[in-house]
Amino acid sequence: MIADEDTVVGFLMAGVGNVDLRRKTNYLIVDSKTTVKQIEDTFKEFTTREDIAVVLISQYLELYEMVANMIRFLVDSYSKPVPAILEIPSKDHPYDPAHDSVLSRVKYLFSAESVASGRR
Amino acid sequence: MVVDHETPSLENGQTDKEVEENANVLQFMDSMDAYLTLIHSLSSTLRRGWLELASARHSMGASRVNTVLLDHTSHPAATSLLVTQDEGKVDSGKPHFTLCKWASSSNENSLLGEKQSSQDKLHPQLRHRGSTELCEEKTSSENKASREVDDPVQKERSKSLSMFGTLVSPKLRAAQLSFEAALETLVEIANMRSEMLCAFDQVNMKLEGRKDEK
Repeated sequence: MIADEDTVVGFLMAGVGNVDLRRKTNYLIVDSKTTVKQIEDTFKEFTTREDIAVVLISQYLELYEMVANMIRFLVDSYSKPVPAILEIPSKDHPYDPAHDSVLSRVKYLFSAESVASGRR
Repeated sequence: MVVDHETPSLENGQTDKEVEENANVLQFMDSMDAYLTLIHSLSSTLRRGWLELASARHSMGASRVNTVLLDHTSHPAATSLLVTQDEGKVDSGKPHFTLCKWASSSNENSLLGEKQSSQDKLHPQLRHRGSTELCEEKTSSENKASREVDDPVQKERSKSLSMFGTLVSPKLRAAQLSFEAALETLVEIANMRSEMLCAFDQVNMKLEGRKDEK
């Protein structure tokens, strides 16, 4: 999980928290002190770990527009089936389907360019 | 008037092809619709969970419900995911996720119980087939199994909340249940996502094939 405090605490109460022998966790709480590099490194680490099947990431990490854009690039360019990247609604912003990475990938089918190129 | 005897068989071939393409498109649209429905359900469940967590924090105090209290000692996750490849499918690259709630090395019964309930949830139509008696028998055996499963599961739930103290607000327990429900929805979303992407690849392949033909 890469999300705000309340979301992480909630899911940890549901039993998904894991801490290995090196004290590495399977979650990152994003707050005002979290840097862009930390989020980027954590995302890359989670997507390469074999013991992680799904990565939950808040769709809108409010405090950092820059972070959201950085993560957007990483998430949109990720294409492996496992671990699955799931964008979850964040506490302060409703879910926006226009920014969902999976829907962005498939909206190509509905774009004017794809229809026009099919007709050529 | 020239009669084209070739046309009927060509039409049949095209019809079969069109039927297959239409089926792929329908599957894609259905899975996308289900994906969006699940996302909205998740939003509502999470909102409930956040509200309950905020209520718990209000009643217990902010110092008792915060991340400082999280357990940073080495421990495995009590809830995990089982990833399998879809059986009987041509496209074996599609993963299938199953949630194993509150399963630990000393708690194999709960693993079986929860897996069964999660599989039943993923394939609810199986429960509704057959006679009423059969359904009732299944229900009573499921109740017995669920009672056997509940005690270790309740213990795991209490253990998970123990980082916030021995006595916790009912709102915190409610928040825990909400986030558990959110987890179940997330697993369904993960499965729907892989179905949608698989259907999308099928449709895209056909479109690319058409472009190449032209």
